[in-house]
Amino acid sequence: MIGDFIDGPLWYLSLTVFLLGVVWRLVAILRVGVAPDFSTARHGGAGGALRTLFTRSLPRRPVFTRGKVQLIAGYMFHLGLFALLFLAQPHVEFISERITGFGWVTLPHWGFILAAEVAFAGLLLLLLYRLMNPVTRLISDTGDYTASLLVFLVMLSGCLALAQAYEGLRLLHLLLAELLLIYFPFSTLMHAFTFAISRGYTGAAMARKGVNA
Amino acid sequence: MYRPVSGTAILRLLQLLIVLALVVAGNLSAQTQAEGIQLPNPGTDLWREVRQRAQPATPGPTSPMRQAPGIDLWSEVQQTNPVPAGNTQVKSVDSGMLINPVGDQWRRFRMEMLVPYGGYVLGGALLLTLAFYLIRGRVPIHAGPSDKRLLRYTVYERMIHWFIAAIFLFLALTGLTMLFGRSLLIPLLGPEAFSLLASASKEGHNLFGPLFLLALALIFFRFVRRNIYQRGDLAWLLRGGGVIGSKHVPSNFFNMGEKSMFWMLVLVGGVTALSGIILVFPILGLGRELMALSHVAHGVTAMAMMVVIVGHIYIGSIGMEGALEGMATGYCDLNWAREHHDWWAEQCEQNGEVVSVEEAAGTEGFAQGAPKHAPLGETGK
Amino acid sequence: MARMKFYCDAERCIECNGCVTACKNENEVPWGVNRRRVVTIKDGVPGERSLSVACMHCSDAPCAAVCPVDCFYTTEDGVVLHDKDICIGCGYCFYACPFGAPQFPADGAFATRGKMDKCTFCAGGPKADNSAEEYRKYGSNRLAEGKLPLCAEMCSTKALLAGDADVLSEIYRKRIVYRAASSLQRGVSYQDATLRSPSGLTGRASSNE
Ligand code: HEM
Ligand code: SF4
Ligand code: SF4
Repeated sequence: MIGDFIDGPLWYLSLTVFLLGVVWRLVAILRVGVAPDFSTARHGGAGGALRTLFTRSLPRRPVFTRGKVQLIAGYMFHLGLFALLFLAQPHVEFISERITGFGWVTLPHWGFILAAEVAFAGLLLLLLYRLMNPVTRLISDTGDYTASLLVFLVMLSGCLALAQAYEGLRLLHLLLAELLLIYFPFSTLMHAFTFAISRGYTGAAMARKGVNA
Repeated sequence: MYRPVSGTAILRLLQLLIVLALVVAGNLSAQTQAEGIQLPNPGTDLWREVRQRAQPATPGPTSPMRQAPGIDLWSEVQQTNPVPAGNTQVKSVDSGMLINPVGDQWRRFRMEMLVPYGGYVLGGALLLTLAFYLIRGRVPIHAGPSDKRLLRYTVYERMIHWFIAAIFLFLALTGLTMLFGRSLLIPLLGPEAFSLLASASKEGHNLFGPLFLLALALIFFRFVRRNIYQRGDLAWLLRGGGVIGSKHVPSNFFNMGEKSMFWMLVLVGGVTALSGIILVFPILGLGRELMALSHVAHGVTAMAMMVVIVGHIYIGSIGMEGALEGMATGYCDLNWAREHHDWWAEQCEQNGEVVSVEEAAGTEGFAQGAPKHAPLGETGK
Repeated sequence: MARMKFYCDAERCIECNGCVTACKNENEVPWGVNRRRVVTIKDGVPGERSLSVACMHCSDAPCAAVCPVDCFYTTEDGVVLHDKDICIGCGYCFYACPFGAPQFPADGAFATRGKMDKCTFCAGGPKADNSAEEYRKYGSNRLAEGKLPLCAEMCSTKALLAGDADVLSEIYRKRIVYRAASSLQRGVSYQDATLRSPSGLTGRASSNE
């Protein structure tokens, strides 16, 4: 009953909210536009935008020397999460069944677990860092904690459901994931999409100026 | 419906049948006759009679009394060493072994020792702590809270402390669910709900277990320097850490008790973690003996850790005024430091590392350099 | 009621693995899982014997004692069964079992064992008798149809017997007596036998059962 609701209507609702919300937020951001740059361009912006999009994913020395913990935990969390979200066999199956209609290569079970371990360690360390460091504590608001907590709960419920034999545990995981999807567009979690815009913008601006950023 | 079958008569009979099957290959030696076959059984009596009639009156050189082949066959079946004695087409763990030599011991350890005594010990530790609190009450800061603070733990140190604490609590809860759930939770939840909870606990425990090893390593490398025993630690021990009597005992950054807890955690916790890792990989072709051994080591060390940690949590929270502050905010009260870690406090005061409450509370205090007493490295980041 | 037991006669088992195959086929046991196995002791040397083992349906079962979710039960026939909906695949029954009977479908890292599987004495499981679900999870329920386990029924030498303990022990007792008499009369054919017969006692190499 409640299970049917979670598995059916709520899933479609959350997916809709997520998709529409993300598009709406992105359109809103893009519609703001950029101030015209009157200087003569030394290079075209597109190449710079594209390059920066990827190069900024690599750690840079100044960043590395400033905060090792955040950097390492950050990589652990994001890479682990990406792997377990998009390469774990149960997830790929779910996506292929419910959304795309096709699947792709999946990690072996141990790879999935390893990704989960790495992501958990990263997330916990990042969350604790946020709480322990006075600066990050001061600049964090409820939204940040809600986002962290939701992601953590989704991951935890997924970990508890690893036996893949209990409908109740699967539904709990799904429910939390749905809440996360609904919350996503209206939170800082949007950085999963907006990072591309900001990096692209920086890259393009710098390339126009002829700066190798 | 089923009714529980009690008694071991059938098992004995079965055992008897197997014994007979194997000894029939040769004659019975006097020793097996004394051992396995004592149940009243017409077949046995008959066999005995037959055997007696077959026996030469005196074993002379022409008819040596030989060890019957059936007997060493039986001893191979009943093997006591964990290397499979037999061959089989079925390839899985220990499949060449007819009788598991360690299962019974392991079962008795878990069901007759770990479950009951583990429960008593853990419950006892909680009760003792409560009793201690009721009798001694909270240890106050005798001089009262001051308006001065000392930097006690950096961000990184607090972070890894709460990291291991969270993982430990989760592992303890999930582990205890598996251990005591059958007796405590099934009556409450019923078998289906408990099965779900137990499965969740098992999966969670298995996933977070290796993280405990990581956390332990982080803790070890960060805190080991300050936990090497020093001059003064022995005196602290001899005077019971100030628990016996009310006289205060001086100590360093960590006192003797804290150091001992650190080493206990590292060594015992290391065993817990490593034995746990073995248990997490059941299908490495490891035989049941190693698994059972790991389980014993895991159970005993986990219990030991939980008991010690009960005390640790008590002192760190309600047991002592001012103790939590250092691990929560990074700064401890100067008076608290003077009363519990006076040598360290003195050193800090000499180095001019005392800050005001305001400084400690804001980012200002955070910008203060690290004290020189310890290799703290990063201050705030 | 009956107390169901298996009994394997080491003097008769010829290690043909017919019981293993029969079991796998009858119960559609998943890949990699064998509920029954034949173990040969002293393989290739004098005194070689084989025994077919599966769950012995212990009267006071160690597996049931250690199971953290208490999913075992003993039927009226003395058959030890377990509920796969409750099992969490922890493997403790395998550590405790004297005969290595519990088996697990998965062989992955991180304790992915899946739900335990073991011999059911062809008695199905806790689901409705002979329902599709029972068959999928536990295999067939021959007992409910009034039949004995297929492994024993298929055993070509009647080394493996299944049935009520009283009946089995009676059969076996007879076998022993006949065997003893036979070896007294003719001597035994294998090496290291020391019995030689005095005249006057008649025996057959085997009973007819
Ligand atoms: C550090 C790494 C650890 C690992 C890898 C680990 C792993 C395991 C594994 C695999 C089991 C057996 C469960 C099963 O087979 O499904 C287990 C049981 C258990 N663990 Fe751990 N564990 C770790 C740490 C801890 C800690 C820190 C505690 C306690 C604070 C703990 C307490 C227990 C308990 C109580 C059991 C249940 C024993 C039983 O049911 O007989 N474990 N652990
Ligand atoms: S699984 Fe093992 S312990 Fe349990 S009843 Fe069968 S033989 Fe006995
Ligand atoms: S594997 Fe299943 S049946 Fe065996 S002890 Fe664990 S929960 Fe019980």
